[in-house]
Amino acid sequence: MKRLASAMIGLALLLPATIAAQEYPTRPITMVVPFPPGGVADQTARPTASAMEKLLRQPVVVSNRPGAAGAVGISVAANARPDGYTILMALSSISVIPEADKLFGRQPAYQLNQLTPIALITADPTILVVPADSPWKTLADFVADAKKRPGEISYSSSGVYSTLHLAMEMFASAADIKLKHVPFNGAGPALTSLLGGHVQALASGPGVVVPHIEAGKLRPLANWGAARVAALPDVPTFQELGYKDVEFYIWAGLFAPAQTPAPLIGKLRDITRAAVNDAEFLGTLKNMQTPRAYLDAPEFQKFLDKDAARLAEAVKRIGKVE
Amino acid sequence: MTDANPDPGPTSPGFWRTDRISGAVLLGLAVAIAWETRVLPLGTFGHPGPGAMPMALAFLLGLCATMVIVGGGDAPPLRAIRWQEGGHAAGILGSAAFAALALETLGYRLTILAILVFLLGVMERRSPVAVALASFGISFGTYFVFADLLKVVLPTGPWGL
Amino acid sequence: MIETFQNLFLGFSIALQPGVLLYAVVGCVVGTLVGMMPGLGPLAGISLLLPITFGLNPTVAIVLLAGIYYGAMYGGSTTSILMRLPGEAASVMTCIDGYAMTKKGRGGAALAIAAIGSFVGGTLSLVALMLIAPPLADFALRFGPPEYTALLMLGLLVLAYMSGGSMAKTLAMATLGLLLGTVGIDTMTGFLRFQYGIIDLGDGLGVVPVVVGLFGISEILLTMGGASTATVRKPTLAEMLPTRTEMRESVGPIGRGSVLGFIIGIIPGSAHIVSSFASYAIERRVAKRPEEFGQGAVAGVAGPETANNSAACGAFVPMLALGVPSGPIPAVMLAALMVHGVSPGPLLIEQQPGLFWGFIASMYVGNVVLLILNLPLIGVFLWLLRIPFPYLYPLILVFCLLGVYAVNQSVVDVWIMVAVRGCRGHRDAESGAADLPPARLAPSHGVGDEQRRLGRPMRPFGPVRISFPRTGPLFLP
Repeated sequence: MKRLASAMIGLALLLPATIAAQEYPTRPITMVVPFPPGGVADQTARPTASAMEKLLRQPVVVSNRPGAAGAVGISVAANARPDGYTILMALSSISVIPEADKLFGRQPAYQLNQLTPIALITADPTILVVPADSPWKTLADFVADAKKRPGEISYSSSGVYSTLHLAMEMFASAADIKLKHVPFNGAGPALTSLLGGHVQALASGPGVVVPHIEAGKLRPLANWGAARVAALPDVPTFQELGYKDVEFYIWAGLFAPAQTPAPLIGKLRDITRAAVNDAEFLGTLKNMQTPRAYLDAPEFQKFLDKDAARLAEAVKRIGKVE
Repeated sequence: MTDANPDPGPTSPGFWRTDRISGAVLLGLAVAIAWETRVLPLGTFGHPGPGAMPMALAFLLGLCATMVIVGGGDAPPLRAIRWQEGGHAAGILGSAAFAALALETLGYRLTILAILVFLLGVMERRSPVAVALASFGISFGTYFVFADLLKVVLPTGPWGL
Repeated sequence: MIETFQNLFLGFSIALQPGVLLYAVVGCVVGTLVGMMPGLGPLAGISLLLPITFGLNPTVAIVLLAGIYYGAMYGGSTTSILMRLPGEAASVMTCIDGYAMTKKGRGGAALAIAAIGSFVGGTLSLVALMLIAPPLADFALRFGPPEYTALLMLGLLVLAYMSGGSMAKTLAMATLGLLLGTVGIDTMTGFLRFQYGIIDLGDGLGVVPVVVGLFGISEILLTMGGASTATVRKPTLAEMLPTRTEMRESVGPIGRGSVLGFIIGIIPGSAHIVSSFASYAIERRVAKRPEEFGQGAVAGVAGPETANNSAACGAFVPMLALGVPSGPIPAVMLAALMVHGVSPGPLLIEQQPGLFWGFIASMYVGNVVLLILNLPLIGVFLWLLRIPFPYLYPLILVFCLLGVYAVNQSVVDVWIMVAVRGCRGHRDAESGAADLPPARLAPSHGVGDEQRRLGRPMRPFGPVRISFPRTGPLFLP
């Protein structure tokens, strides 16, 4: 039976290659989302996919491949056949996973150069929030208190080396303070533990924290972005407050396997450029309270290089957690 | 496993009764896990590392396994065991393994079709018409309901099947 | 109080609109269908079917999801009772006595009791949810990692306690289950344990493939293909319904299960697993004839099923009152709300009263629809048992494969199922002569997995000390 199976698999591999010669795309495109339905990546992927669908006249199927903090889905896309029929919607963590693998001396799940960027879709700065009943009114209060008792103020994150962890460590090292890290499995539990009073601070996206700020449960202290957030016009950025290098975004961007032929990448870039101007797409983003942050491939590549370098440095600084 | 059996006499069931074999397998497993845990830092008592929990559990498993072995003296002898369903189980296991290999290349429908033809036709020797009807019906029917109607993403293979 | 009822009236006026009601019914049917697949419980059902709600308006989408959610819950108990195929770790308890009842020819009664218990549990905890959600939610959030770990430990103790056979074997299996739960990333340090370069194992062994692998097909093989087949066939209509005695015996368990489930359910995390086995243990403790447990005790079905459903409803308390994703299922629901343009948060009730009360009302409606749907369908479900064995087991295998693959779209999960199944062969070989109880392994693997995910954050709060130096919240002695 095994021989039969391998013969059939061999046959299956041959087939699509002959079909792909006609004008791209001739069959549905798969958009891999390395997180479960409903997460940030998924919420960005679905409107993008449906806007692309209209322009390509072929279905763009969102395929959720969650697992290992995104490593499973990303490596599926990184190792997919570079025929333009597999694309990936990834988050900032894409550059962190190989760094963490390197740190532990593990066989990396994938390398960043196995993927080529198509476009950046959204980028949300994280917001530093503390409970509304905490004594810190400003970032200066927080830093002063943290200096007085190093390692005592605790913050939650969505996991070790998760984006939320790295953002906080970036700030802590710039401010020269020591905070206690409490990792959870996902952004949801991290928020729950802050609201329950188990930790004293959290960095998370505006979509997550703004409703709780409006309800008077949380107080925002600072914003990791280069500019203020529309929903929180009174919250200063770290750069305004004098922390020059503290900049961080939870971004979502489209990638394709690195060996995908240039004409197909070009087509995907054109389609994405048009898709992000789709009215329905913009409406969905507005509902999610996420501004569009479109960047085409060359600028996205630059953004990515800078971001990856910053994150790699943060991972190295944290080192192995004992 | 039975190699370790020091040739029980025709009347005595010997040392290797069913429970004792189970216990020995578990004990072996515990030792193997403890060995595999060596690469993980154990940490200290106050600050347990990633290896502490598996190591403690492996120790506990070994302890339980020893108890199973010690207390297994009155379990039925190995010979008393019959496995009437061995053929079926092997077929099912084989089919599931085939599915794991083939699902993402052959696609859902063809893989399931192949499994059903094998199980119904080869294992159960149903009439060809029944095999064809059931295999096609189930494989394409479930795909229609779950993939087409409910939008659950199932893999497709050649010819878009 | 009057305001609550006015609001509820508003909710019902939304939920009972023909268009909305239709979606509630569709959701229940689809949910039942999905829930009957081995491995696809409420969580997997909602995650899988979330995409079909995109493009609907928010109220309808949430009503549909609520229907799917409840449907999956009911559907899961059907296969647990009739075929010993649990959809998730929580329904393993139902398998034990539910399936024993089926073997005795009381499968219909077990189904009816499970449906009624689920209905009562769901409805009672909805009333509680509606009336006391906000103060309760604040309390629930104070339940932190140390308390959560303590609860999981309690669950394990209960597991050991309810064992019928040899203590050494039970403990061995529980330990093995915990060990399986240690596979994957260590939340505290980021170390990958027992991963061997297989990226997919980074998240651990999924509960679904392990449970399906353990229970999947072997029970069918053992009982239906083997010698003891005759008992399961052809129940008459009278046999489908619970007798007076059976009804009377299930009143107490349903009442206790409702309260227990709700209390455990509001705790953030996946505590509803614990609720079903805590209920089972309590019922066994208070039973007049505890020796009947495992042999088809009515209370062994009624209690855990009720507790499970009630807990699932309790899990919505922090979500609806505070907009906090307090467990995996509320997290998916919240995400769905966000996709539909509703920003969940503490102000949800004030800002979107129609949606909130529509959701509450549609949960009531869903419970009623499912009860109406399920009781007459018992006959249809029982008919499943009459499919000739040579056709039944391939069909079940197909459903196992479909369910296990679809949850994560992962072939690795299928392999895990195959591997677990392969190891189970050892037990099949013994034809139950000297079995290591698999019913102990599955829940303890669930607990182990949970412990790995959430329990270990306890450490920074106070490394293995008797008292936790806490910053204020709830203190559990």
